[in-house]
Amino acid sequence: MTLARAAALGLFLLLSHGCARPAPPPTFAPPGRGDSRFRFVDVAGSAGITRVVLSGRATMDHLLDSGGTGAAFLDYDRDGNLDLYVVNAWRLEGNQVKERGSNALYRNRGDGTFEDVTEKAGVAGEGRWGAGATVADYDGDGWPDILLTNFGPNVLYRNRGDGTFNDVAARAGIEAPGWNTGAAFLDADGDGDLDLYIASYIDTTIAEVLQATRSLPWHGLELVAAGPFGMKGAPDHYFRSEGGERFVEATEEAGLTDRALAYGFAVRAADFDGDGDPDIYVANDSDANYLYRNDGHGRFDEVGVWSGCALDAGGAAQASMGVAAADYDGDGIMDILTTNFSEDTCTLYRGLGGGLFDDVSLPAGIAAATFLPLSWGTAMADFDNDGDLDIVIANGHIYPQIDSHPEIVGTFAQRNLLLENDGGIFRDVTGSAGPGFQLVQSSRGLAVGDYDNDGDLDILITNLNERPDLLRNESSGGSWLTVTPEVEPGHGPLIGTEVTLIAGGRTFTGDVAAGDSYVSTHDPRVHFGLGKIESVETLDVRWPDGTHTIRHTVPARQFLVIRKGG
Amino acid sequence: MLRVVIRAAPTVMLAAAVLASANVSFARAPDAPPATPAELSATYGSIADVIIAAKKAEAGIVSGILESSYGHAQGRIAAAKAAMKGGNAAGATAAVESVASLVGQMATEGDSSVAAIRKRLLDNGHHHHAKEEQQGIYDEGYVVVTKVAKMALLASSKAFGAMAKAPTEAGLDAEWAKVQATYASLKKK
Repeated sequence: MTLARAAALGLFLLLSHGCARPAPPPTFAPPGRGDSRFRFVDVAGSAGITRVVLSGRATMDHLLDSGGTGAAFLDYDRDGNLDLYVVNAWRLEGNQVKERGSNALYRNRGDGTFEDVTEKAGVAGEGRWGAGATVADYDGDGWPDILLTNFGPNVLYRNRGDGTFNDVAARAGIEAPGWNTGAAFLDADGDGDLDLYIASYIDTTIAEVLQATRSLPWHGLELVAAGPFGMKGAPDHYFRSEGGERFVEATEEAGLTDRALAYGFAVRAADFDGDGDPDIYVANDSDANYLYRNDGHGRFDEVGVWSGCALDAGGAAQASMGVAAADYDGDGIMDILTTNFSEDTCTLYRGLGGGLFDDVSLPAGIAAATFLPLSWGTAMADFDNDGDLDIVIANGHIYPQIDSHPEIVGTFAQRNLLLENDGGIFRDVTGSAGPGFQLVQSSRGLAVGDYDNDGDLDILITNLNERPDLLRNESSGGSWLTVTPEVEPGHGPLIGTEVTLIAGGRTFTGDVAAGDSYVSTHDPRVHFGLGKIESVETLDVRWPDGTHTIRHTVPARQFLVIRKGG
Repeated sequence: MLRVVIRAAPTVMLAAAVLASANVSFARAPDAPPATPAELSATYGSIADVIIAAKKAEAGIVSGILESSYGHAQGRIAAAKAAMKGGNAAGATAAVESVASLVGQMATEGDSSVAAIRKRLLDNGHHHHAKEEQQGIYDEGYVVVTKVAKMALLASSKAFGAMAKAPTEAGLDAEWAKVQATYASLKKK
């Protein structure tokens, strides 16, 4: 976004909210319930989530320093309790590597605490500078595997099913050394195995990272890390699965060539045009976002511009960091939310059907709340189980130098955001969402999942140079239903499956995805908040092969497993 | 389109040849007045020719891109109408989606491959309309398509996309008329 445009948009947003000068840095309402239904408490420390995520240099001289890492919810041991995986990076001092961080796998003991099983499981990350974690059973053996996208060769941890993993990335053919970021598994060609899209950011080397000096003027006040303008973008990759064990690079063949060499950050696969096959949305930093439409056979056309979800309402490419996809307005059509850089708004693209979208950020109340922060991980999910999808956004700036001028856009450390869906308009309820939302950190990755199996969604957030937050949801909420659509007993949710509920005269839709938010993976189970509804009239599972499983009169407040053909 | 490109290209090549063949000497007599050496002035003059020619060539190439997209879109409109007349609904849909894509490319002065080039130019400080960008007339790096025209073309692109599943001749004509008007306004500049 140009400075002129940022200024104009900022002025509009501020005037539309009754003030004529830039908002002061965030002030924080005292934690507590107040009259809010929402209450989140950070329990990471007491639960044993303690490993600090390293983040380059304190001065953030290169964009890699401040990129942060992702996280994932997964049930790696299939005991019914969600475990956590947190990616780590390196610590630098000047041009020296001081410490290579270890990723962490935390096993859920089922009593609200976690055991660090990283070493035992063999998933420390191979000493790489990590970016993201994407979880999927890529080989179809029933055990969730972990793809680590890295600055450097990727790692694919194959789950052996005995609590240990081994790296098979080289053998599988997906190492793709570079600055890899977001990824998504999807069955693009409908052959029953999972293909893989990996976004890439900048074409650079560790030597360039170590030698980087801050050279970009920020508001004429500070020199900050340069880029991404001025740096060559790195091409995204698409790997087609060959029977579930090996992949072949098929980027060009599939029509997925990253012709803009865009600075790719986040990927989400979903059926965006409602034709029954998975499409791919890529959130790019400072470039138009991509929407690749699948022809049903694993060949794609890039249709982002004319479908209305590549640019914002002003026709500008934004600096997108993260993505969420869900049906926020209950019309049965997938909507898209992108998180963007500071002094620009996050963008909510409302799905119109047939793969068309409208930017509704302003009327939906997204724009004002998201203009100042720099936003990353995100999810659209029903956190108070009232029957509609709220929005959570992880925030944090990339320039610590802005701390000398907090009156401009706030500080490097920022509060995360919780926006409540109030009839399709989003209200900022962060200040009354409990102590977990009053934390001020530089956050990045975000994953949502019900780790304590109490029917509401908790939030895992990574932070630069701090331990992650695990925000336990203590909100007072309504009814709920969590669905696991699986093929074989215990194999977990099948990626690409859609679940639609009809209840109380309304339609609720959700899907199973692997790869979301900012370089993170949510709980694969499909969660629905139902408000006062205690029984679902119709539950329709659409499997990736187009077949359906339908249930009638399904009681709420349960974890429901739907088996294909069962 | 090709005509435009070919017309612009020799100017750049000629200027580049002047540069390449310039025999620049940096030596000067010890008692020479503190004037800019004539060889350097001459070379700078040649570079100025190159820069000016390159800028003209850039405008010519982007105009060519627009002309190409416009021409192809016009062809796809005709193809869509033919498909509709022949009862080929899928063909009509594909043709109208092509129109949507091509009009979108007009809005963005080319597809994503051009975006990469524009990004490279901006990375290196080249703004074809630096002043007009500040005034909000052009988006960053845009050469021919004004902000107003861009928004109009994006709206038309989306409108074609929306009508692709069930196009009508009247609908196509009405939206195409808007594209024609926008394109005509750009050609006048």
